Amino acid sequence: MKAVLEIKNLKMYYDTQAGQVKAADDISFSLYEGESMGLVGESGCGKTSVSMSIMRLLPENARIISGNIFFGGKDIVKLSNEEMNKIRWAGISMIFQAAMNSLNPVYRVGDQIIEAITTHEPDVTFEEARQRVASLYKLVGLDPERMDNYPHEYSGGMKQRAVIAMSLACNPKLIIADEPTTALDVIVQDTILRELEKIQKKLNMSMIYISHDIAVIAEVASKIAIMYAGKIVEMSDSVTIFKRPAHPYTVGLMSSFPSIRGAKKELVTIPGEPPNLLNAPDHCRFAPRCPFATDECWKKEPSYEEIEDNHFVACFHPQNLKKQVRANAG
Amino acid sequence: MMLKYIGNRILQIAILLVIYVAIVFFLLHAMPGGIKTLLISNPKLTPQAQEAIIRAFGLNQPLWLQFVDYMKNVFTLNLGISFSYYPTPVWNIIAERLPRTVLLFTVATLIAFFVGFASGKSLAWNRGKTTEYVSTIVGIITYTIFTPLLIFVMIWFFGSFLGIFPLNQFLNPDLWIHTRLNAQVIFLYILLTMLIIGMVMLVSYLVALRFSHRVRTRRLIFYLSTIITVVFSVFFWWVSPVGIYAADILWHMVLPVMTVTIISYAGNMLVMRDSMLETIKEDFITTARAKGLPDKVVRDKHAARTAMLPVVTNFVLSLGFVVSGGVITESLFSWPGMGMTLLDSTLAKDYPLAAGALIFTGIFVLFAHLAIDIIYAFLDPRIRY
Amino acid sequence: MTNNPNTTVEMADAKLESPALIRMKLMWRSFKENWKIFSQSKIGMIGLYIVIIFAVAGFIVYPILAATVWKTTSLNAMASYNPVTGYDFVQNNPAPPSWAHLLGTDPLGRDILAQLLYSTPREFMLGIVAALITVIIGTLIGTVAAYFGGALDTFFMRVADIVLLFPFIPFLIVISGMMQVDLLTLALIIGLLSGFGGITIVLRSQALIVKSRPFIESAKISGASDSYIIVNHIIPNVMPLSFLYMMFNVTGAIFSEAVLSFFGLLNIKMSWGLMIYTADTAGYIIGSNIWNYWWLWLPAGASITLLCGAFYFIGRGLDEVVNPRLRKR
Ligand SMILES: Nc1ncnc2c1ncn2[C@@H]1O[C@H](COP(=O)(O)OP(=O)(O)O)[C@@H](O)[C@H]1O
Ligand code: SF4
Ligand SMILES: [Mg+2]
Repeated sequence: MKAVLEIKNLKMYYDTQAGQVKAADDISFSLYEGESMGLVGESGCGKTSVSMSIMRLLPENARIISGNIFFGGKDIVKLSNEEMNKIRWAGISMIFQAAMNSLNPVYRVGDQIIEAITTHEPDVTFEEARQRVASLYKLVGLDPERMDNYPHEYSGGMKQRAVIAMSLACNPKLIIADEPTTALDVIVQDTILRELEKIQKKLNMSMIYISHDIAVIAEVASKIAIMYAGKIVEMSDSVTIFKRPAHPYTVGLMSSFPSIRGAKKELVTIPGEPPNLLNAPDHCRFAPRCPFATDECWKKEPSYEEIEDNHFVACFHPQNLKKQVRANAG
Repeated sequence: MMLKYIGNRILQIAILLVIYVAIVFFLLHAMPGGIKTLLISNPKLTPQAQEAIIRAFGLNQPLWLQFVDYMKNVFTLNLGISFSYYPTPVWNIIAERLPRTVLLFTVATLIAFFVGFASGKSLAWNRGKTTEYVSTIVGIITYTIFTPLLIFVMIWFFGSFLGIFPLNQFLNPDLWIHTRLNAQVIFLYILLTMLIIGMVMLVSYLVALRFSHRVRTRRLIFYLSTIITVVFSVFFWWVSPVGIYAADILWHMVLPVMTVTIISYAGNMLVMRDSMLETIKEDFITTARAKGLPDKVVRDKHAARTAMLPVVTNFVLSLGFVVSGGVITESLFSWPGMGMTLLDSTLAKDYPLAAGALIFTGIFVLFAHLAIDIIYAFLDPRIRY
Repeated sequence: MTNNPNTTVEMADAKLESPALIRMKLMWRSFKENWKIFSQSKIGMIGLYIVIIFAVAGFIVYPILAATVWKTTSLNAMASYNPVTGYDFVQNNPAPPSWAHLLGTDPLGRDILAQLLYSTPREFMLGIVAALITVIIGTLIGTVAAYFGGALDTFFMRVADIVLLFPFIPFLIVISGMMQVDLLTLALIIGLLSGFGGITIVLRSQALIVKSRPFIESAKISGASDSYIIVNHIIPNVMPLSFLYMMFNVTGAIFSEAVLSFFGLLNIKMSWGLMIYTADTAGYIIGSNIWNYWWLWLPAGASITLLCGAFYFIGRGLDEVVNPRLRKR
């Protein structure tokens, strides 16, 4: 299999008056064709920062310090804005956190999708573009007649579907869905996510789902990366993560959210405050909240290692492991 | 839906109009020392003339009857006889001068809107540069400067220092003395030409919107038809024997238009800047960027187009301010429109004319309000449906 | 057991005293916080400095100068200098700035600087009286309309619509041509008229937000009367916004006065606008001439611009206090 996206040691910091915010600190992962990945972590841990780095839509005070993001053989980090514009939407498209506000209120919804098509495929005529939008509408379960309506005439769920249709408009290789359903009620959330998964499988696209809710992600993603304080602390396929969560943070995340399928577990929230990414410490960033923290954890940062086949963790004391790879700390 | 909205607005404006006329009536007539007292004490009028006016306008009737009469008179354009131009009816004077104000105001306003829009847009887009700082300061100065002060400087700079623009009046008497042409007629033809050009622009815009989906074709249709019409009308005026007189009027208009523009552009600019800064933080702008649209498209089609709405709203709120600026401008440039009429008639104690001018200034503002409301409805789909 | 009622009474006594104190302290604290935000706004601080300079010049410097330095130039050496009647016949008037007259004299030989300073407190008075009336009316109507709603609300909102579009200056021109309008009357007219205008709309919507807060409901349940709630709960919460509008109204009032007296329509003896009027009617402000007699119009015009601008600036600064959206991070 070929990697669609490959991120290597990405460091993206925000400069603020109070100091540096290390929103993405040494992030690495790759995503293969047709693969779907979940990026999970509490709010403020840097998920959006990672996705915006991939799209190169960072605010002015953000800087990519180092690292590479390979997409289609090119390093996105080094592209000019014009070159990047060709990759945006045609190569990588996005479904935003706030789908409600992702549509410009003064233009018809259909026209906003057509705009994306004609920008990237100038040879497509207006009628062809409309045809495509109509079929996309059917695909996401919208009535094609609603194309000529304005955003304020759509309900929240419809806007979400329209935004999904828009993300598919140029047949991108990769779609990043940043909390695509947070603003919707639970039932609509579930249907939309499932449909999204179906479409993704059908069109064989790669997908990154971003959410703070690990249970939601586990339903649709084949691989999960857990982020904490700007770092990926654990990554494996969803089954492994669910069966043998190794990082204490992952364990905490899973117990704080009742699983949709399984028996209702007791709701255990992770104690303590989510971390402040400002001037990050040089010990394990989870240590202040970790029930398993030892002196070692307060002295240095754990390295990110493969503790079993295709299961990476950054922790001195991984949990739930049948075969303990690391005998002891050292 | 759109028609219903417009109908609603027209109805509201009509009600506002009645209230406005009522307020003016009660303030002018019902106050001690109102019109009647002033009329009787006016030394210019013979007792017979006074008697005639009092009878004609029923000034001896009870107040409420007078009010009913007054309303009827206003809406049948029967505004009385001017004292200072006795026996010319007030309406004749206003009918002659209103178009001048409308033209001055419309042209200046359009320019001010586009200048304010464009500069506010680029200020927000190029945030933090020296140009932003400088233009904001210049904007605030022109916004807060005492209008007569601004006009003195304009007169000195353009009229005396550069010596390029004529200063007094609405036309050059030396030129007009050799002709029996009526300036008013020429003026109305100018107005008509502008109206035609405006209509052509509007129609070609709508046609382009309807029959083409390519931005380039749309632009071509729009600009081509506009340019053709403008060239054609300029040519028409050129070959016509009265073209030179029209040019004279327009030439006299430049400075007043410039002044009213300067008075009102800064407000638009500052609002546009703030609104644009808010808009570019919106999520749909991030979406537009993510779609890979060129920067210019994101700025103009998405950010500026949406950020424009508060500017239009603000414009309604600043109408009064601009009209006040217009009065001062007209008076100081001797541009014989409503503002100058208002001031001159007040100073000459010609109250029927002053009251008529005041009422029509108000009516003009209300109509401007209505026009902007309708434009706003076209601009914001959330209102339209 | 018998002790308990006593102690509660005592505690109640203690509590009776404290709410006022607590409120004072709270107000002081919120004032300090707001001041902190305001003082970060450059434009607001510039405005404040200008206003302070004018206030000092008008209320402190002028009386001192009039009683000391200018006293001797007056005809009647015993009286303080009066810039309205203080003609100086010694030289050709209008005279350019000199040591005797720092900003020169007007066509009637009166000292320009003295006129400028003499008018300053009057401009302040006019602006502040007009703005106070406006704000009092606007706050009352806005809060009452929001609190009671219904026909009352609709009525005042329609009135506000019309006042908003009212051609103010033209109207004032006609009125002041008909009646003898002095400074106080003008302040009254401006204050009254604008009190029913846009300010009621803004304060009403703010009051509506306040009205929906839970403490209003709890005050109602505990039996507070409508007027008590409006005065004690709603008005204090819309106060900052009222204050903001007051600044813009001061600007409007001073500007209107200047325009009217510039046209010679007001029944007043001296003001900045009138100074320009005097120079203009005497024919000193014509085309190329204007820089030859700059002291006749520039100081007065600049003062009008600066003071109007200053209050507008303070308003912009306050805007950042009231409107957190505008604040930068
Ligand atoms: N423009 C910015 N300037 C400074 N800090 C920022 C900026 N945007 C986000 N941050 C900070 O970066 C961290 C990560 O934010 P984000 O990527 O939005 O997290 P998530 O998407 O996981 O909620 C947060 O602590 C946030 O406060
Ligand atoms: S390294 Fe230590 S503190 Fe950090 S998560 Fe693992 S056990 Fe907890
Ligand atoms: Mg996020």
